[in-house]
Amino acid sequence: MNLFEWMGKIISQYWLQFLKGTGNTLLMAIIGTLVGFLIGLAIAMVRTIPVRETDSGFRRAVMRAVNWILSAYVEVVRGTPMMVQALIIHYSLFVVVGMPSLLSAIIIISFNTGAYMAEIVRGGIISIDRGQFEGAHAIGMSHAQTMVHVILPQAIRNIMPSIGNEFVVNIKDSSVLSVIAVTELMFVSKQAGGAYAKFVPAYIICAIVYFILTFTVTRILRYLEKKMDGSSSYTICGSQSDPGAEIHIKREEA
Amino acid sequence: MEQQVNTQPDAPILELSHLGKKFGDNVVLRDISFTVRAGEVISVIGSSGSGKSTMLRCINLLETPTLGNIYYRGQDIQTGNIPLTAYRAKVGMVFQQFNLFGNMNVLANCVRPQQIVLGRTREDATDRAMEYLEKVGMAAYINARPAQLSGGQKQRVAIARTLAMNPDVILFDEPTSALDPEMVGGVLDVMRDLAESGMTMIVVTHEMAFARDVSNRVIFMDGGVIAEEGTPTEVFQNPREARTREFLSRFLGNN
Repeated sequence: MNLFEWMGKIISQYWLQFLKGTGNTLLMAIIGTLVGFLIGLAIAMVRTIPVRETDSGFRRAVMRAVNWILSAYVEVVRGTPMMVQALIIHYSLFVVVGMPSLLSAIIIISFNTGAYMAEIVRGGIISIDRGQFEGAHAIGMSHAQTMVHVILPQAIRNIMPSIGNEFVVNIKDSSVLSVIAVTELMFVSKQAGGAYAKFVPAYIICAIVYFILTFTVTRILRYLEKKMDGSSSYTICGSQSDPGAEIHIKREEA
Repeated sequence: MEQQVNTQPDAPILELSHLGKKFGDNVVLRDISFTVRAGEVISVIGSSGSGKSTMLRCINLLETPTLGNIYYRGQDIQTGNIPLTAYRAKVGMVFQQFNLFGNMNVLANCVRPQQIVLGRTREDATDRAMEYLEKVGMAAYINARPAQLSGGQKQRVAIARTLAMNPDVILFDEPTSALDPEMVGGVLDVMRDLAESGMTMIVVTHEMAFARDVSNRVIFMDGGVIAEEGTPTEVFQNPREARTREFLSRFLGNN
């Protein structure tokens, strides 16, 4: 049999497992990216709380301790491979308390993504013009209100491409979690290939599925970005002679 | 519910007392004292680097003064007796770079801060926002985003946004310095109307004609201190200080 015939045979025998693997891969990537984003958001918000010279010594000491812990988390998680983290955590903690490997995998991906997202979100926040903070503070908003209503909506829009990157990376890098026996796409491909001792056709199928996933996700994110940018046109309402008049202003497409 | 600021109604709106500011070893403000009473329009003039903007930014604590006190209606604002956010809501600020919120359209820029800071309802906030947008001539542009407007339009929206908070006093930090020359007039007209309507204003400006014609009091700053203070007639026609004369001749010489 040639390559394509082998691929056909593997699909016809293992399509259900591949489907399940694809589902688990997507599940890990989606939840991992979402939870990781929330972790990153929280960390970045805490790390950008302004500390003034006039603040009390206690407040400054607490802020310093919290910042130290958060940056330690970011450095350790970013500085070690996710596969090694998965092996250590799964075989020490999760095996002991009987945690299913899919759940361990989701937790590990979330924590891992959180560390990268913390830096991505922080980058997004510091890229926003100081004037936006000053405008919000001067009108009477607290730090939290400024963040939620003014800074984060703009920062998140600006980091959408990086969030998309993380999502795509998570779809692909969740493959290393096959080491803790999660039935994700990579794990299934290895099994299917092993059953016939034909690994190349199985991994080609695997690669094609990964590409379809990442390509689709990229398109969806691009569409979301466009929606976040809002309408490129606006309406001028009313004139001196006719209050109901409307003039539609449209920006030239670049 | 509106945030209440507990204050003495008969006290001056603002009083600066021996205010000083250092950035590291660099002294940028020294011994700044003056009072602001209701309805006063005070212009602050002086060359770049004289500390005008820093002084203004100290008033609403965007910069923390290193010396001295600021009293709002008789209460020291740095003791924490008045919540900082409530105080800032009462002391509006208009910036050189407008600082409209980029994620909101014109209407939302004027409505949302009222909801967030003052807890007003959406309907109430919208009515007030429309009233002031009407006043500055920007009511037709409520759907536009800041990025779609010219500098002069943005500044007029920024003024409406500040007015909608019903502040006691508005600080203007060189409001026309970032504008194309043909945009300056429109913004100054809005400010002139405001002054005539009795709004209390402190205006840091290079517009000498505005300082001379609209304000009740002119403060000339030089090297981080108030070098001269008086009515526009006193400062512009009979300056006592040599450095005031020198500054004015440089500025007005080509007018």
